Amino acid sequence: MIFLNNLYAIFRKELESYLLSPFFYIIAAFFWLIAGFFFWFILNNLIQNVAQIEQQGGLTAGVDLASEFLNSYFNVIISLLLVMLPALSMGLYSEERKRGTLELLSTSPITNWLVALGKLLSVVAIFTILWLPLVIYQIIAFSASQPPIEIGVVLLANAGVFLFATAVLSLGMFISSLSEHAILAYILTFIVVVIFWSLDILSNSVGAPLSDLLSYLSLFKGYTPFLSGMLKTDTVFLFLSYIIAGIFLTTQSIEALRK
Amino acid sequence: MIEVEHLQKIYGSTVAISDVHFSVAKGEILGFLGPNGAGKTTTMRILSGYIPATAGTARIVGFDVHEDSMQVRRHIGYLPENPPLYEHMSVESYLHFVANIKGIAAGDRQLAVTSALKKTGLADKAKVIIAKLSKGYRQRVGLAQAIVHSPEVIILDEPTVGLDPKQILEVRNLIKGLGGEHTVLLSSHILPEVSMTCDRVTIVNQGTVITTDKPENLMDQLLPVNIYKLLVEGDVYSIKSTLESLDGVNKVDIIPVGSRFSLEIFSSDKYDHLAKDLAKVVINSGLDLYEMNHNRPTLEEVFLKLTTQEQ
Repeated sequence: MIFLNNLYAIFRKELESYLLSPFFYIIAAFFWLIAGFFFWFILNNLIQNVAQIEQQGGLTAGVDLASEFLNSYFNVIISLLLVMLPALSMGLYSEERKRGTLELLSTSPITNWLVALGKLLSVVAIFTILWLPLVIYQIIAFSASQPPIEIGVVLLANAGVFLFATAVLSLGMFISSLSEHAILAYILTFIVVVIFWSLDILSNSVGAPLSDLLSYLSLFKGYTPFLSGMLKTDTVFLFLSYIIAGIFLTTQSIEALRK
Repeated sequence: MIEVEHLQKIYGSTVAISDVHFSVAKGEILGFLGPNGAGKTTTMRILSGYIPATAGTARIVGFDVHEDSMQVRRHIGYLPENPPLYEHMSVESYLHFVANIKGIAAGDRQLAVTSALKKTGLADKAKVIIAKLSKGYRQRVGLAQAIVHSPEVIILDEPTVGLDPKQILEVRNLIKGLGGEHTVLLSSHILPEVSMTCDRVTIVNQGTVITTDKPENLMDQLLPVNIYKLLVEGDVYSIKSTLESLDGVNKVDIIPVGSRFSLEIFSSDKYDHLAKDLAKVVINSGLDLYEMNHNRPTLEEVFLKLTTQEQ
């Protein structure tokens, strides 16, 4: 019980520090603006394209506009997340290190695991807040879809984004625990995530069995099945591994600080 | 309550503390006195469980600070050198947060926070955002977080640093009030401060304990009755050992002054007959004596002498 109590305290403290910081609102404004623009832009483009083909009489069978849109839009959004997520995680530990508050956490009767978990939950909650308007856009757009889109496909795509974001934030939290400088954490996280993102491209240039491993670890390869409506347990497992690895590495790096 | 034996901490090739030992009884206030860099913060960080020692043991309330760190953390309140404050929080919500992670049950938190606010004189600042507080108030918030869970042992690293004289007085009185109920270890580099607030004082220098005693005994122990200052010309180094062997001489310092030398001789002898013996040694050795006087040093001067490295 006291465990949950402590976890909630860490979670709440972090959440407050995001919501009271102007930085969060700047990120939110940019994210909503760009994500909203692309939502309109891609949807409009698709509709016009289809209309054009239809006019020329080239359309013989029906087009699954909804699925097509989902695919293009989420691919754009993922690129946007690659830039935004490191900004959310960069201060998680670096700020505590800079301000000396890590000394308070490290000398209180709570474990490093609990602190890391509380912090991750809070930043995931922040991401969820940022993501929420996009869910509303989807509901509006897909409710007008004819033929109706399978709700499961949409849910799965969103779940994929959620898992992907949590994995990136978990890695970002670990990188944030490595230094006192938030900006350094941002740059490093961005580089690391881009590398993990494009591991399957890298894997083409090395021989087996390394290429198989790299290809499996690729965040991109793990993410794409979610867009095509397929729930593959191994990709879910991949993301969960990233999340747990991030938390584990964070606790180890904080432990190593106390030498 | 606190037992420290042969504590040692080495960072790479730097020895932060080489042999620290002391013990603090229940309800006692122990002052940890030494110049900056003496190893005070390192010792306190080891006690709080923030860093492990290289060698030696430290126990708080019977628990080893490293082996049973979680147990120890439940029993201590710790104010690091820089108060660990979350600036975006109000004083009250910050203390609620600390009370929570220190393991105070939800139902008891409000009472604990109110009491800590009252003890540290922060009651009227409860709703103020910490970022807007002055340095003195921040230090008090730091103190409040160290006592909010009413720990048996309170460790305070330089609690009065950066405060104005009025605030220093208030904080000192606050610490004095903590004694009896709590066991307090407090560090400082200011001698009068610890001699006024503490039951006993441990003097550390360069990572080792020089002495531990009650403040009043410390004065007797450390204060030589006389310091003789002689201005001499000639080979003073040849007579240093002769002077040191004289009855009542504790310490001889030689400070070059132009072509001459100032000899500072510390003596615990209560009478002034050492003066003629010193003069005789100088004259009989064929050195020229230009000036001679003696006076009683202040406590600060002795402390400085004890803790300043001789080169």
